Amino acid sequence: MDAKLKETILNPILKGNPITVLVLGICSSLAVTVELKGALVMALSVTIVTGLSCLVLSLLRNTIPNRIRIIVQLVVVAMLVILVDQILKAYSYAIEKQLSVYIGLIITNCIVMGRIEAFALGNKPIPSLLDGLANGAGYGIILIVVAIFRELFGSGTLLGIQIIPEAFYNAGYMNNGLVILPPMALILIGCIIWIQRGIQKDLQEK
Amino acid sequence: MNTNSNVYTVVYSTVIVVIVAAILAFAAQALKPKQDANIKADTISQMLTAAQFASKEDLAKIGNDAVLAEYSKYIKEAFTVNAQGQKVRDLDLASREIADNLHAQNTNLKKGNDLELPVYIFDQNGKPVTVVPVYGAGLWGPVWGYIAFKDDLKTVAGAYFDHESETPGLGAKIKDDPEFRAKFVGKIAAWGSDKVLSILKGASQNNEVDAITGATMTSKGLSGAIETWLNAYKPYFSANATTKNKCNCGEFCPCGEACECDCHCTPGQTQCNCPDCPCENCPTGSHKMEE
Repeated sequence: MDAKLKETILNPILKGNPITVLVLGICSSLAVTVELKGALVMALSVTIVTGLSCLVLSLLRNTIPNRIRIIVQLVVVAMLVILVDQILKAYSYAIEKQLSVYIGLIITNCIVMGRIEAFALGNKPIPSLLDGLANGAGYGIILIVVAIFRELFGSGTLLGIQIIPEAFYNAGYMNNGLVILPPMALILIGCIIWIQRGIQKDLQEK
Repeated sequence: MNTNSNVYTVVYSTVIVVIVAAILAFAAQALKPKQDANIKADTISQMLTAAQFASKEDLAKIGNDAVLAEYSKYIKEAFTVNAQGQKVRDLDLASREIADNLHAQNTNLKKGNDLELPVYIFDQNGKPVTVVPVYGAGLWGPVWGYIAFKDDLKTVAGAYFDHESETPGLGAKIKDDPEFRAKFVGKIAAWGSDKVLSILKGASQNNEVDAITGATMTSKGLSGAIETWLNAYKPYFSANATTKNKCNCGEFCPCGEACECDCHCTPGQTQCNCPDCPCENCPTGSHKMEE
């Protein structure tokens, strides 16, 4: 694998993470991280939508009239989002029922449009597909980290399985109600950004 | 080619939209049968959970066909009733027809239009269990569910609730917390009152269920949904509720609001504490009802 392709894949996951560095896609990361299962499905859905829309629009990039390019992007992204929603409804109904509102909102996720505008319209299809998938993965990793923390401390479970033993509750331990509410996700993401900037000094603003 | 000319732009956008529309139409058509089957199995498993035949979690694991088979195993009668409580039409049992279009039915209910509400009667060890749906607005989106009544059509045999987007960990407990659902079991619907069955803080009556702490709005919404829908079913239930004032040992007397008495059967006793409600089948021996 040549260095440029490697950079395309690794950059969005670490140095150019869409949530912690570009601070995009915050709304949905607050909304779907209460439970790990929802976060996993959301991460997968966003990765697929971002990857495929980057691929399709990269293929079309030389034919799109510049004046209506945003509309064309929206049409393609909307189509993919509806397809993901329909497929989930047919093959994973319980999860679709839980996430239907947020799946629909993938279209407004800034990461999708951001990557199309910034990368796919100026690059060949394969790097665009990889860039889209990697950005989706970068988004997904943060989502999963936040969701693990929130489900574990908010409900005492992971993927619906009780993790914190009954004995703790009997000894007076209580699930943290604040962790369940969206503000805690914002605080958590803030902490992740803090840690990341502490490690990667070049991200710090002078 | 000049991709910025007006003609090109118009033709391009038209072609893109037609292609996208075709793909979506094809996907919707191709996936519809599977989606409908999912919705139906989901609805049926909610009913079966409410009637305490199985748990929703187990039903979700066994797949759609097995859920439908379970339904066929227990269902005895299914039909729709109108606002006067009269039967409108029978639902086809062979094809497991369901008539749950709760959103539309709720709109009709609110507007006072003609109603056609489903009633499902299951057979539980020879005794009928009647299951009816409820639907209404929670805090963030719709909440709905099914309530099952025992053969006296007053005692709640079980309930199941679901929601679209209530807060996980708080309002979502109406679905996720089995303890909340368990609180409904044994409650007595007060068909004579305005509030047939309600959810409120500090429940004290037989037709009241304790609300969920921290989920006041969801509890209120669900309570409203139950009250509105059970009110609509009131004529049917009032007309069909059994008038028998006898109960078996170990059961609660079905004598409703007028006389809330338990059957405290003691060996040899034929009369329970309340005069309207004589005990039947009181066994001799050491049997004693557990409180």
